[in-house]
Amino acid sequence: MKDKGFILIFAFLGSILFLFLTIPLAKLFISVGFVNVFTTIQDKQVYDSIFLTIRSAFYAVVFVCFTGVPLAYLIARYNFWGKSILESLLDIPVMVPHTAAGIALLITFSNGYIKFIDTTTGIVSAMMFLSAPFLINSAKEGFKKVDIKYEHVARTLGANKFSIFFSIALPNARNDIINGALMMWSRGLGEFGAVVMIAYHPMVAPVLIFDRFNSYGLKYSAPVAADMILVSVCLFLVIRFVNNRLN
Amino acid sequence: MLKIENLFLKKGSFVLHKLSFEVEKNSYFVILGKTGSGKTMLLEALAGIQKIEGKIYFKGKDITDVPPEKRNFGFVYQDFILFPNMNVEKNIKYSSRYKKIENKKILFDDLVNFLQIKEILKREIKYLSGGEKQRVAIARAIYSRPKILLLDEPLSAVDPTFRNSIMKSLKDIIKRYDITIIHVTHNFREASFLADKVAVMLDGKIMQIGDTFEVLNEPKNLEVAKFLGFRNIFPASFLGFEQKDKYFTVDPYKIKFNTDNKEGVYSFTCTIENIMGISDHFKIFVKVGGELFFCKVHESIFDISKLHEGENANIYIDKKDVTFI
Repeated sequence: MKDKGFILIFAFLGSILFLFLTIPLAKLFISVGFVNVFTTIQDKQVYDSIFLTIRSAFYAVVFVCFTGVPLAYLIARYNFWGKSILESLLDIPVMVPHTAAGIALLITFSNGYIKFIDTTTGIVSAMMFLSAPFLINSAKEGFKKVDIKYEHVARTLGANKFSIFFSIALPNARNDIINGALMMWSRGLGEFGAVVMIAYHPMVAPVLIFDRFNSYGLKYSAPVAADMILVSVCLFLVIRFVNNRLN
Repeated sequence: MLKIENLFLKKGSFVLHKLSFEVEKNSYFVILGKTGSGKTMLLEALAGIQKIEGKIYFKGKDITDVPPEKRNFGFVYQDFILFPNMNVEKNIKYSSRYKKIENKKILFDDLVNFLQIKEILKREIKYLSGGEKQRVAIARAIYSRPKILLLDEPLSAVDPTFRNSIMKSLKDIIKRYDITIIHVTHNFREASFLADKVAVMLDGKIMQIGDTFEVLNEPKNLEVAKFLGFRNIFPASFLGFEQKDKYFTVDPYKIKFNTDNKEGVYSFTCTIENIMGISDHFKIFVKVGGELFFCKVHESIFDISKLHEGENANIYIDKKDVTFI
């Protein structure tokens, strides 16, 4: 009986947050209407914008997979001078205002060597700058969970460091890396502040939503928002399903 | 075959203090020590996993700086450390990805039969029992054709009912696969059954090394005697010797009460402190001049009516049963 009371109180408290998170989404879809959701997605500008957002966020994730995952492995496996400073620096992008990050990126890269303003490169950079820590931190935790003794044994069996990384560390930290990649990707999908400073055009979905809201009001921006959420949720579910099947 | 010279390693609170010893080819060498005495770290140092000061020679060649992947020493950890992302067969064959294994098909089939793992070859690691994991870990290590097999407490996670058969298999491995085994454990029984030579390691130091019988029965110092479970350790001055740093020990079963044989014995008058009947024998604690002796007497030769707690009696220790430390 005591357990029942405990569970009821916690479930009540949790349900307040759950409703706060889900009601606006449900309300959005209900107010837009499912017909409108499907009609809007056929609008070329909306379709291109959502696809650009998904693609750019994906490129950012791929780049960090090749660069941030090895860095995460080094942090997880080795002790070196300045390690804690490095870890703190990697977390800074999560804390800074997104518009400030956009300004910093503009100052750094708008020197003419790389075509940055109003390009996909600029969009990818903005997304990557603000969301890379999600993947790096998750991968780092994943690698830490892989017992170092697996790697010791693998070395006694003839594997070198590279082989061990690919045959032992990476497969056994896979779930955390995939979760981190999903977190980073979803964070990239929603990126507005930094992207809008660097590339108003081509428009990613959050910029398009803002643009339509500013120009035409809520009625025209809400269906785009609903489409973006729908596509993101579908992609999320597919990736999670595939990952669970692989496990 | 394997020669270790002044091996020194410090890691956190663990220190290996300039260890030196040799292991002969195709021998079973057991390092016996308490948990936390640095045994695993020593094995990791031998495998090349830990960087050390000092020298390690294998067949006369200095291999101190040879990395683990080139050293050709197999390693079986206490918790077996089977790769969870591979099934049993892939675990065993892992080394063939990175090195050429001679007669690998024949070797694999032989290992599968010898260690009786045919039924579980396709099984995921998470579905294996402790004993199965142990056999797979040994198969994986031997499949890589190591010259030396390093075993870290390999029997501690195995059901006691299977230990005897596994110990026999471990002993057979040496001849069957032309291998030398270095095995660390805290278990005297394992050492006694398996070892050709034993080293006792305490607090990162090798305290005694030698033939198994000699080490287990004739400890050279007080720490080893205490670690090996010797009872009745007292200063030799108790028997009339003058050396201050000399001690003696006597097996509790060898202490006799009120015996007729009084030739060549040490005899003492004692006070019976406590008598405890334990299944087939009696444990008797007696006080002799401030020292508490522990005696064991089999119930078939013990006449309880003659000894009473609080009363005086005589105990006799045959001189040949006294071991000096």
